[in-house]
Amino acid sequence: MSFEAISNFVAAILTLFIFSFLYKDNPFYKFAEALFIGVSMGYAIPLVYENAFMPFVYTPIFVEHKFIIIIPALMGSLYIFRFTKNLSWLSRYPIVFGMAIVGMGVPMSIHSSVLVQMRSAMLPMDNINTIIIFIGTVTILLYFFFSKAHRGFYGKVTNVGVWFLMVGFGASFGYTVMARISLLIGRIQFLVGDWLGLIK
Amino acid sequence: MAKLNVFDRMQKLDRRWIYLVVALAIILPLIIPFNSKTYVTEPTENVYKKIDSYAGRTDRAILMCFSHDASTMAELFPMEVAILRHCFERKVRVLTICFMPAAKPLMDYAINTAKEDYDVQSGVDYLSFGYKPYSLFLITLLGMGDDIAEAVETDDQGRKIENLEIMKEITNYNEMNLVIDFAASAAVYSWIVYARARFGVNVAAGITAVMAADNYPYLQSGQLIGMLSGLKGAAEYEKLVDIFAMNKDEYGNPDPREFSKEIIKESWIKLSDIENRKYKTARIGMNAQTVAHVMIIVFIIIGNIGYFVSKNKENHIG
Amino acid sequence: MKRQIPLIIVICMGFLFAAHTFIPHKVSADFYTWWQSWSKAISPFAVFLGVMSLFMVHSTKISRKLPNWQFSVITLAALVFTSFSGFMWGTMEGTPFMWLFKNVQMPMGATMFSLLAFHIASAAYKAFRARSPEATVLLVAAIIVMLGQVPLGTQISEWIPETSKWILNVPNLAAKRAIALGVGLGMTATSLKILLGIERTYLGGGE
Repeated sequence: MSFEAISNFVAAILTLFIFSFLYKDNPFYKFAEALFIGVSMGYAIPLVYENAFMPFVYTPIFVEHKFIIIIPALMGSLYIFRFTKNLSWLSRYPIVFGMAIVGMGVPMSIHSSVLVQMRSAMLPMDNINTIIIFIGTVTILLYFFFSKAHRGFYGKVTNVGVWFLMVGFGASFGYTVMARISLLIGRIQFLVGDWLGLIK
Repeated sequence: MAKLNVFDRMQKLDRRWIYLVVALAIILPLIIPFNSKTYVTEPTENVYKKIDSYAGRTDRAILMCFSHDASTMAELFPMEVAILRHCFERKVRVLTICFMPAAKPLMDYAINTAKEDYDVQSGVDYLSFGYKPYSLFLITLLGMGDDIAEAVETDDQGRKIENLEIMKEITNYNEMNLVIDFAASAAVYSWIVYARARFGVNVAAGITAVMAADNYPYLQSGQLIGMLSGLKGAAEYEKLVDIFAMNKDEYGNPDPREFSKEIIKESWIKLSDIENRKYKTARIGMNAQTVAHVMIIVFIIIGNIGYFVSKNKENHIG
Repeated sequence: MKRQIPLIIVICMGFLFAAHTFIPHKVSADFYTWWQSWSKAISPFAVFLGVMSLFMVHSTKISRKLPNWQFSVITLAALVFTSFSGFMWGTMEGTPFMWLFKNVQMPMGATMFSLLAFHIASAAYKAFRARSPEATVLLVAAIIVMLGQVPLGTQISEWIPETSKWILNVPNLAAKRAIALGVGLGMTATSLKILLGIERTYLGGGE
């Protein structure tokens, strides 16, 4: 048995352990789940060390002698105190330092998510589709406006919005089915193709 | 009474029988392959055309950002391989980056899978910037708008990227003017909100089908220039690469063609003619997808028949 | 003061960032460069949060011998061994670290999500009912989109993928745009609340 075959065997057995959950919860599934969580977290540590700690902390301080970097490094190490009772407030400093970028997010998200989308909704209504899009967008926005009771004529208008929403959710549901099936196809391709060699 | 009992039993069917049908509906079409026609959509065509417009140019590059882990690999990996193959075949300079530790090996795996059949060199034809911690996502994304070499500094082998040949004519988003984000999350919106809005870079998405319907407003507004949606998007791109980039003349020599809708309509590719399975993974998968979709639709119909018959019975008794 | 000083930092720096978006002045660019280099140095330490949280949850389970504590031993052992292999033999292709990723983490991660295919099929059979006209519209739209995505749809009729395309490009677009506008306004409002010190949950509990 080649090394590749052994590797495939391990991957296939672990895949089957997870699939065993479909029959019912069992120790094989629990074992695989526990192993998965541990390996996933353990995997991140050396990568962060190599790709973030070494180039952005170690090299600037110990190789390039930029000693000012000691300050943010110390600030970063304050994360450790997050789980202590009396000193957890210290962990707020590294958090807020990163949080400050929301200042840039305000104008940017207004532009991209609101203004550009509004502009695209206000195209000349020269064909039936742009009219439908306009009616759909406006009626749904009215539906989400809860400060006015959805009764009478207003209720009828917002009801149109509900129908548009249902079509949108239907489209999302259709795509979701496709996505979930695709993931299973991927695993079956591995089991039946890579492991058992039955796909040509 | 007996007739109605069947519907009652249908309502209470053990879910494990349904699971068995699902497994068979996927395994059988994979083992017994058949040819089917892939309908190519405009969002996929647009990504293809944009990438192809950079063919042979040393002053243009695309950036592929891998924002997913193994859980959605089945949908995204085939499209990544197809795009990389297109780039290597048409000499489009391609740069890659990821901000998730679990995406790093997938990125390497995609590059290694695609480059097996090409004489391409890291630092010349393609370059992996490697993994950068997620906390640096926005910093890098915005920094690349001014100077990629300063924002990214080193590649995945620790080389200063400013010294590499591939970067000679590539400074910022003016040259690296197409970013494709492969994601199972909302990561692509960060490219739209920051990189597109601030620097005007072209953004495309390679996303899981779950996210696809939500992105249509961004396609219409032009904030996304194109989109590959799940396994279907990957199958479409595989087909486009085969029809146009991989086209051969009558003597079997490479003869890439310009994109044309007419050629797509006329083209018929037999999957069994493509020897390498890695270049038809998505299209093989779409066969199983067809059977599975029919199965789900049948489930919905049978489930509803059972529901309405039982409901009528209750009303009748009531 | 334990809350006020961090809040003041967010407010002051947040407004400087907002200004930086509009004013490409050298002072603002220098501020941004300084922030970048400091953020890079802070970033690796964030991994502490995840590791410590996992360690605390599972070590408590083990020490108190809670139900299924044995699996917590496996989790912690896997965490330690995977990290150790990365530090010991490196993280490049061909190392034990990468073997663990390719043959343990990757297949299990992919399989976990693929279970959803079975659940969605079961839900299609047992839960998706046309109980009202609205639910019927949802199901019909879903069925057309499902058929439109696969080769069979085209083989039945060219109209199926065309109708699916229309659903996605017109009514679906209208629905998703309205939702996107709501989300966009919500995101902006939340960012403003953080910027003005109204939203403070990110600071955590306590004084």
